[in-house]
Amino acid sequence: MAMSLNSVWYITKETGRNLVYNTWMTLASVSTVAISMFVLSFFLVLTVNMNHLTTVLQNQVEMRVFINTNVPRSKEMALLNEADKWPGVRKIQFFTKQQAAESLKREFPDQRDLLTLIAKSNPLFDGFNVYTKNPAEIPALAVRFQHQKVVHNVVYEGQVVRRLSRLSIIMKWVGWVVELLLGLATLFIIINTIRLAVFARRREVAVMKLVGATDWFIRWPFILEGLVLGLVGAGIADVVVAQGYHWLVAAAAGALPFWPMAPYSQVMGKTVDFTLGGGLLVGGLASMVALRRFLRV
Amino acid sequence: MIRLENVSKRYGNGHYGVIDVNLEIHRGEFLFLVGPSGAGKSSLIRMLYREEVPTAGEIFLDEFRLSQLRRNQVSRLRRQLGVVFQDVKLLTNRTVFQNVAFAMEVVGAKSHEIQKRVPQVLDLVGLSRKRNNFPHQLSGGEQQRVGIARALVNNPVYVIADEPTGNLDPDTAFEIIKLLNEINRRGATIIMATHARDIVNQMHKRVVAVENGRIVRDEARGAYGYES
Repeated sequence: MAMSLNSVWYITKETGRNLVYNTWMTLASVSTVAISMFVLSFFLVLTVNMNHLTTVLQNQVEMRVFINTNVPRSKEMALLNEADKWPGVRKIQFFTKQQAAESLKREFPDQRDLLTLIAKSNPLFDGFNVYTKNPAEIPALAVRFQHQKVVHNVVYEGQVVRRLSRLSIIMKWVGWVVELLLGLATLFIIINTIRLAVFARRREVAVMKLVGATDWFIRWPFILEGLVLGLVGAGIADVVVAQGYHWLVAAAAGALPFWPMAPYSQVMGKTVDFTLGGGLLVGGLASMVALRRFLRV
Repeated sequence: MIRLENVSKRYGNGHYGVIDVNLEIHRGEFLFLVGPSGAGKSSLIRMLYREEVPTAGEIFLDEFRLSQLRRNQVSRLRRQLGVVFQDVKLLTNRTVFQNVAFAMEVVGAKSHEIQKRVPQVLDLVGLSRKRNNFPHQLSGGEQQRVGIARALVNNPVYVIADEPTGNLDPDTAFEIIKLLNEINRRGATIIMATHARDIVNQMHKRVVAVENGRIVRDEARGAYGYES
């Protein structure tokens, strides 16, 4: 639609006027959008993290055997060759503590403290990645490794991975259902806000129709109002989530240093996409519904 | 030219507002639409600016066929028209200047055009000095002048007035009519529904009388012609 600069300015002005005129409804709408988008982000942060955790764990092998420090490489190799012949062992790989540090860097990109610590003096262990022929043999095999003198400890987490990925699917669905309900509530509040704006401007609208303003010229300020409400609400939620997740990552690095938090950039990228998209969607939809129902142009 | 062909308007309750009306109005005419209350004057007027659509027949206004207009064409029709009401319909939170400028803003006029055109129209209706007043600071006659200025500001071909002097005392009403007459002399076509018999009788313009939804009289230099 071709529109003069003057019209664009007029429409912007009217939108601003609507928003300021209905201060309380504007605030109510923005806060409901913000709350709704915050809850959406909450579920997003949760699912992104669970997905991250699942992938990290899946990338880990079925069983990991760590060797005591100060064990000479020859003894490590002897155990490697011996264990390779044990029944139940399908494959066994040696890794050095330098390699362990590298993979740690990949899994915890946001934990600078941890990474600098590793860079200074590597506290990690050499070890083996062990793959079994049958997962049921893992516990017995773990015990057998544990009995070796040079072995520091053994970890295996096959079950956890399976449970986690099931849980993250459930979380996703719970998230969508909660979000749908909140989205509906938000929709109705914005519809009502725009209805009030239309009502407050019914005389202007009548005059506009009379002198031949186009339907879209009359509609734009109200549509824009809905979009602005959605966008501002989403923006507020994003700021809160950005601060909150930043804090959470820092806190986790202190309290649970080996918990693999999803990287900040990945979480915020998803959050911003979904909240801004959701805000615009709910705002635009509300405008459309409100105009269809309350603005007979 | 405006042409009504066998126009009828039947309302939802079965009542007829207008029955089988034929009428031609040429450019440059000044036409009074007279008749008792409820005769169908307002129905006719409202169909001219397409606030209502005939249930039968057709209205032609220059290149427009009013019953065929799609919604997005109505705005194009209305830009050819200036509509004036008994209750003026001014925006109370805007000044005289802003009320008139509003009509230009919303049809996408450029700012410098507005700044040039609005003072001209305010000058024509004699309200240059009150351009910064708000409607509640004006007399009834002055308010109606603002209404006329707003109707004129986009240079309409046709000015349609529905009882514009209905709320005014006779002297003020006469001032308004003189203003409309001046606008007519400058080229606009005026169609005015009215009860003001003295004015109609004095002006010697075309008079179309409506009764019970039908045209009962159409005189080139007519008089009001009703008792009361």
